[in-house]
Amino acid sequence: MNLQELAQKMGLKLVTTAFDKEVRGVYISDMVSDVIANAKAGDLLVTVQIHSNVVAAANLLDLCGILVTQGKLPTDDVVKIAEKAEIPIYCTDLNGWQMATRLYEAGVR
Amino acid sequence: MSSESRAPQYEMVNVRDGHVIIEHDVRSRAVRSYFSAELTPPVEEYLEGQRLWRHSGAAQSFQFDVRDTASGEVIPFRELLGLMYYVCCREDSDLRRIGELAEAHRISIYVAITYETAEGEPTRLSREKAAVLNRLFNDRLIDKSKKILILPDLFGLYRDISYGQIMIDFGLTAMEESR
Repeated sequence: MNLQELAQKMGLKLVTTAFDKEVRGVYISDMVSDVIANAKAGDLLVTVQIHSNVVAAANLLDLCGILVTQGKLPTDDVVKIAEKAEIPIYCTDLNGWQMATRLYEAGVR
Repeated sequence: MSSESRAPQYEMVNVRDGHVIIEHDVRSRAVRSYFSAELTPPVEEYLEGQRLWRHSGAAQSFQFDVRDTASGEVIPFRELLGLMYYVCCREDSDLRRIGELAEAHRISIYVAITYETAEGEPTRLSREKAAVLNRLFNDRLIDKSKKILILPDLFGLYRDISYGQIMIDFGLTAMEESR
């Protein structure tokens, strides 16, 4: 499933260019070190973190995108970094658990 | 065999969770950091020769080794504090300018920041180890038009960056820091 299609289905708010990529899995974490150690290329990162280092980690690992939960929004600086790195960022008011269940119901494994 | 189908040569192994401990010498104001795998980051001050080291802060992080899947050789990366993405550097810095040029060609530059010695000098990351790190991360990229370039700290960044610029979880351990 591609990320743009998934985002439309789930009503996620896009705050960068879409850079549409295939979603190969999901990794949920709020720690950059944990993401670097355990996430896999193609994963969608679900997090509450909006720090530039989250984009740095997503780019390093070639994650398909970042989904920021709990209504948080990245600053313009972070959006610019994500644009350069071609990492799409989506936002939702839902929390990590709610998002995880919806992603599973949408068929993401 | 094409490079598209080749299995990664290196894999991350022996991942150890822990903390980057930052401390300063109360007499000379020298600052250094080290990795601790203890569950609770140590905060006690201690004497080392003429220096009295006092806890300054901690950041959650991890250490890892890299295994060559062909030979079985395990290469330790104990000197690696963390990676810094070029955009987290000052806008007027050489690294930022080089990084902008490289990013236009889909090459993302990261700098490997290493721990300091007791004298406050950074440990040197060898060219061979930098090559292994580059291979480790590049082999895993799905997008084959993209490259990751991890450089040793050729820029002397260790002198003026803050720990918050490095890809470690600084500021998530407020309970430990407030002791």
